[in-house]
Amino acid sequence: MTYQICTNCVMDTSDESIHFDTNGVCDHCNGFETNVMPDWHTGEDGRRMLAEIIDKIKAEGQGKEFDCILGMSGGLDSSYMLHLLVTEFGLRPLVFHVDGGWNTDIAVNNIQMLVEKLGLDLYTEVINWEDMRDFQLAFFKSGVPHLDLPQDHAFVATLYHFANKHGIKYIMNGGNISTECVRNPLQWLYYGTDMAQINDIRRQFCTRPLKHYPFSSVLFHKVYLRYIKGVEVVKPLNLLPYTKELAINTLSEKYGWRAYPQKHFESRFTKFYEGYWLPTRFGYDTRRVQYSSLILTGQMTRDEALQRLEKPAYDPETIDDEFEYIATKLGITAEELRLYHSMPLKSYRDYKNQAWMFDLGAKAMRALGLERNIKR
Amino acid sequence: MIGIINYGSGNIAALMNIFRQGRIDHCLCTAPADLEQADRFLLPGVGAFDPTMAQLDHSGILEALRVQVFEANRPVLGICVGMHLLAEGSDEGNLPGLGWIKGRVRKIDTTGLSSPPLLPHMGWNSVNLQGGSALFDGIDGAQGFYFLHSYYFDASADEDITATVDYGGNLPCAVERGRVFGVQFHPEKSHANGVRLLRNFAELV
Amino acid sequence: MLRSRIVPVLLIHDGGLVKTRQFTDHKYVGDPINAVKIFNEKAVDELTLLDIDATVQGEGPDFVRLQKIAIESRMPLCYGGGITTAEQAAQIIALGFEKVSISAAALERPKLIREMADQVGTQSVVVTVDVRKEGFMGGYAVYSHNGKRKHKVKLIEYIREAEALGAGEIVVNMIDRDGMMAGYDLKLAKIVRDATTVPLTFVGGAGDSTHMAALIETVGTCGAAAGSMFVFKGTYRAVLISYARPSV
Repeated sequence: MTYQICTNCVMDTSDESIHFDTNGVCDHCNGFETNVMPDWHTGEDGRRMLAEIIDKIKAEGQGKEFDCILGMSGGLDSSYMLHLLVTEFGLRPLVFHVDGGWNTDIAVNNIQMLVEKLGLDLYTEVINWEDMRDFQLAFFKSGVPHLDLPQDHAFVATLYHFANKHGIKYIMNGGNISTECVRNPLQWLYYGTDMAQINDIRRQFCTRPLKHYPFSSVLFHKVYLRYIKGVEVVKPLNLLPYTKELAINTLSEKYGWRAYPQKHFESRFTKFYEGYWLPTRFGYDTRRVQYSSLILTGQMTRDEALQRLEKPAYDPETIDDEFEYIATKLGITAEELRLYHSMPLKSYRDYKNQAWMFDLGAKAMRALGLERNIKR
Repeated sequence: MIGIINYGSGNIAALMNIFRQGRIDHCLCTAPADLEQADRFLLPGVGAFDPTMAQLDHSGILEALRVQVFEANRPVLGICVGMHLLAEGSDEGNLPGLGWIKGRVRKIDTTGLSSPPLLPHMGWNSVNLQGGSALFDGIDGAQGFYFLHSYYFDASADEDITATVDYGGNLPCAVERGRVFGVQFHPEKSHANGVRLLRNFAELV
Repeated sequence: MLRSRIVPVLLIHDGGLVKTRQFTDHKYVGDPINAVKIFNEKAVDELTLLDIDATVQGEGPDFVRLQKIAIESRMPLCYGGGITTAEQAAQIIALGFEKVSISAAALERPKLIREMADQVGTQSVVVTVDVRKEGFMGGYAVYSHNGKRKHKVKLIEYIREAEALGAGEIVVNMIDRDGMMAGYDLKLAKIVRDATTVPLTFVGGAGDSTHMAALIETVGTCGAAAGSMFVFKGTYRAVLISYARPSV
């Protein structure tokens, strides 16, 4: 395939499924009007919809210690959402943080600042490190790009289990169109809850039974919790004006919140993985997705994005230390880690998977009008 | 390139760590020939004066270091007991010191301290910078450094003292004469100030 | 002016970090490597790591792990757990630690304190004493092996002996207050302070900065150490690393 980059955003043929129209505009951009815009309500109607949801959450939460739950990574979206929910809407969220073993000082500082200044209490779950380590190493050994699955899966699974255990019906989600309307291609970041894939990679590469690791099948949280237990996922950031700049300014001013060099860099692992591993091993640069989102929502110019993409996502000054740290933390040598970096490239298709089922589910959701912007 | 004099004494690993973290060029100098790779030297040291001095003497590296400092005019920085070695002698032992800076190592006089803890002088203490030393460029004296010692270098000439620390009196904690530098505290364990000081040393012209 | 040292204490158990209450009730708080890295980034005054399995399992220090930890640190480090010889202490210092702590081994063979001081210097020898309140007279008994083995020595006599043998620092760990976060035992701190002139560090009971301020008010410049306070947040004991110095 010859190289091509979208004339409107900065997505290019590193996304293997990308399509361009005759004007050289990609399908991410072309799908924006039909797949994204209908879910995005930054005006009066959004306010009204949000107010209705908030009223419902409050009414159902009366007499309970918490009326909703919020997963807090210390990142921008979850931090800003927490600020809004408490100060603007008077909700009483249970703030829940999952510690996967890779927190940065900035992340723990940001969480601390927010819960302290908002007078909230925090719940945490620490994932057993020996299990996490083994699971993450299994993904390195498998050669696939979606190495962040063990962290992501643990975060999602733990949050849903916790909500279920405490009988909390509303899960507040920081997912938003403003900064993430272009989705990471499936080829880059595969579904985090495909148990067929997870089990195949576990079977082939794990050295421990992962007794303490929290697994959750998509059937549990997308079907059982939602349709049997009536747990609802709410994305408030799509129902009001939300921009990256506004969020950073508000949070740093009110809470002494500290910004990260890039989205998802609150985890040392994700920083290394998205900043170094994915671009240098696979040529996948998640900044393309992030910047394209910002371009589509009018927060960045294409020129600025292109200019930023010229520099690597990692800091060449510190990458050697970071590489060494990742290896040390995983309990392997830097040489072993380099070996995984140079091994043949694999994709989710090289292991058992239920992509067809997810695909079918997504199409059904789209047909039912429940979800439009599906991953591909 | 900083050559760390590796003569069997001192917290070499901690120094290597901080140079690696601060991305400061460094190498280990274990044999006289190793000194050729470097253009400045770090003389660490922990433990008592006599055994440390004896170790340096027996390492066979001392003469090469002397040549580098006094003939090639290359800087050397002594840390903690490495600083003490630069003196003429020590109350802690009987061996003569290098005598590269005039003065003697003495036990901290605790009569000036109103209450315990007395010795060792342990923890973070602010330093009074005398000014003019490139080694302390951009250093926050109030934040200070991490100290861990019972003896100090009582330098004879006031103009050789570049910083003092208040502990039962004003004790010299950094000395400097020509290309010879010494600090009592542990820059390798003093966070931002420590990294800054070591970088200053690495960039001395 | 010499400042009091505000010291996080991390306990290693089964390869992970735990926090105890009264030396039992272990709660898993994560992996040591990343925790040390965060404390390093927070520029803490000193960090103490105690392997609470080593002595009771009759094992020496895990040098490989300690090296990994030292490599990530540019803060003063102290290690304790399973040390029985001066050579082990020297090995730990060589990895990049400033201080080595002994507890059970010093109670069994006090001369080890002298041997270590000769080998690594007084300033690097830390003697840790675990104590529990005992009897009607408000006395204190000395323990080792995670509070399971009681020793006949008198607390004050033992501390004076340790100082005479060359201890550069005494750490007093109050078992009854461990993990309770209700404040230090100030009476104990005062008694110990009056008995020796070496630097002291107290651990057991700190729940917030005011407890540390009260300790410093009582005994002057010292080490105020804490576990729970720096790893837990809020009433639900959420695991979240933080660090703050009292304003004194």
